[in-house]
Amino acid sequence: MTCIHDGNLRLYLDGELAGTELAEVTEHLASCAECLARLEKVRTARAETEAVLATLAPTADDVAINPAMAYAQFTSQFATDRDPKTWINRLLAPSWRPVWGLAMLALIIAILVSVSPVRVLAQRLLAMLRVQKIQVVTIDPTTLMSGSEPDSRPYKLFNQFVADNVVVTMDPGKPQVVSNLTTAAQLVGYPIRMIGSLGAPHRIEVNDETAFQMTINRDRVTTLLDEIGRSDINVPESLNGALIAVHIPKTVISMYGDCPVRERYVNSNSESQALAERKMERMANIKDTNCTYLIQAPSPTVSVPPDLNMSDIAEAALELAGMTPAEARSFCQTVDWSSTLVVPIPRNSSSYETVTVDGVEGTLITETLSQGNRYSLLWIKNGVIHSLAGHGNSSDALSLAASLR
Amino acid sequence: MTGRERSSEHWDEAEFRGVFLQHYSRIVAILIRLLGDRSCAEEMANDAFWRLYRQPALQVDGNIGGWLYRTATNLGIDALRASSRRRQYEEDAGGSRDEGENTSPLEDLLREERCYRVRAVLSSIKPAQAQLLILRSSGLSYKELADALNVKMSSIGTMLNRAEEEFRSRYLALHPNEEEEL
Repeated sequence: MTCIHDGNLRLYLDGELAGTELAEVTEHLASCAECLARLEKVRTARAETEAVLATLAPTADDVAINPAMAYAQFTSQFATDRDPKTWINRLLAPSWRPVWGLAMLALIIAILVSVSPVRVLAQRLLAMLRVQKIQVVTIDPTTLMSGSEPDSRPYKLFNQFVADNVVVTMDPGKPQVVSNLTTAAQLVGYPIRMIGSLGAPHRIEVNDETAFQMTINRDRVTTLLDEIGRSDINVPESLNGALIAVHIPKTVISMYGDCPVRERYVNSNSESQALAERKMERMANIKDTNCTYLIQAPSPTVSVPPDLNMSDIAEAALELAGMTPAEARSFCQTVDWSSTLVVPIPRNSSSYETVTVDGVEGTLITETLSQGNRYSLLWIKNGVIHSLAGHGNSSDALSLAASLR
Repeated sequence: MTGRERSSEHWDEAEFRGVFLQHYSRIVAILIRLLGDRSCAEEMANDAFWRLYRQPALQVDGNIGGWLYRTATNLGIDALRASSRRRQYEEDAGGSRDEGENTSPLEDLLREERCYRVRAVLSSIKPAQAQLLILRSSGLSYKELADALNVKMSSIGTMLNRAEEEFRSRYLALHPNEEEEL
């Protein structure tokens, strides 16, 4: 065998040779003084360089790097870069109230929905949740979120929290206005219904897919709770670092009658502009008594780490929403968190009943407002969540639903 | 892994988080070696992951680790060379160090001085060689080096020898009085 070149000597030294190559080199070295000398040179050079470079090794206090924490920081930094506020604000804005059957859904699922360990399929597989049924929970609207004015401190705190922790990964952008239901159905890929007794809808909006995720930083949640005076609520340890991802497929909103064209899609730059918009929307809401919405949305999917016990989180969230710890606990025990969309409604101004609609069981929520009653009829058919909302009483809602085709 | 399709359009969030958690610590440790500063290193690691996030096609391609090590060290070496050019590095490195708890200020100073010299040499040799040396010294295997540098595993031996030769000759040229240490 010819002499071994330095590169292979290096491979030999670093233990990167195997099989016949290793055998050949070993055999040759045993009989070749010249190669053996070069091997020693390479060995010395390696040792000396390694010693010098080892000076740069991190010191002990640099060693404790926490990737989970870093990931939370990374996503929040990245959230600021992406400026997800516009979309999230849209979701939280009061203007969404008429369509809250859908709008609340994404947020509430993100906070409340849970998963049973049975659904864990593999080590690294995230649990995917799908909404199969709807359950109503009544909450006290005087506590956080449910009754907050957009300018109140809790609302702002919550908004900030969302802005820092929620990363929008698929921004639906502006809804696309289409001229008829056939086009809408083609765009979204599932059949779109029509309220027969109201004729053709006046406006049809198709919302593109939406996805967002949040990484929970337990310290921040605790701080937020402290700041709003609810340090009594216990945030489960399991929540820290948990990544919750929500994906909402394409949805269709059909509007019948005099529906105000919503301003929520206009990005407002200043706080005062935003305030002015909200005032206009509130006025518009009073006038929109002739407006009926039908929203169709396939079940959003929510991914959470398989080991996350979200029933605990739901309890905390319901306490936050005004339930007593005992109430929250007993409610949470009745819910299959892997498949249930929990819709919170204000306790003193709303009532709900279970009805039969579209051949399935549905939930009819009635809200009493100064300008008359407003209803929201929710049901799930063929995997698509339907929400019919308008002004009137429950019989109006049911007769409209009966004319669906 | 998840049964969901890997898209080249956008990252699967769980997938990305997995990649982040898998590589973050090591990337930061490598960058601390290069930059000597923890917070700079973390910032730069975030930069590398942010670049990764904007290249979702990589999740299909497969060599994510290699790409990350390459990108992070490129960023680190660029910064090192830039700061070395500005000749500001010495002040920065000298001034920012807190006194250690278990070592004397003099030892810290000497160590700092030595780190500075090593980094100065790393920034003076070819970036690809500096990259190879810093990655090997951070404990990457031949396989990982090959993935990061897009070369065959069999050529790493020769590359390492050359890089070390270059490094040693520069180091000795700059600091001839340290010959006895080598």
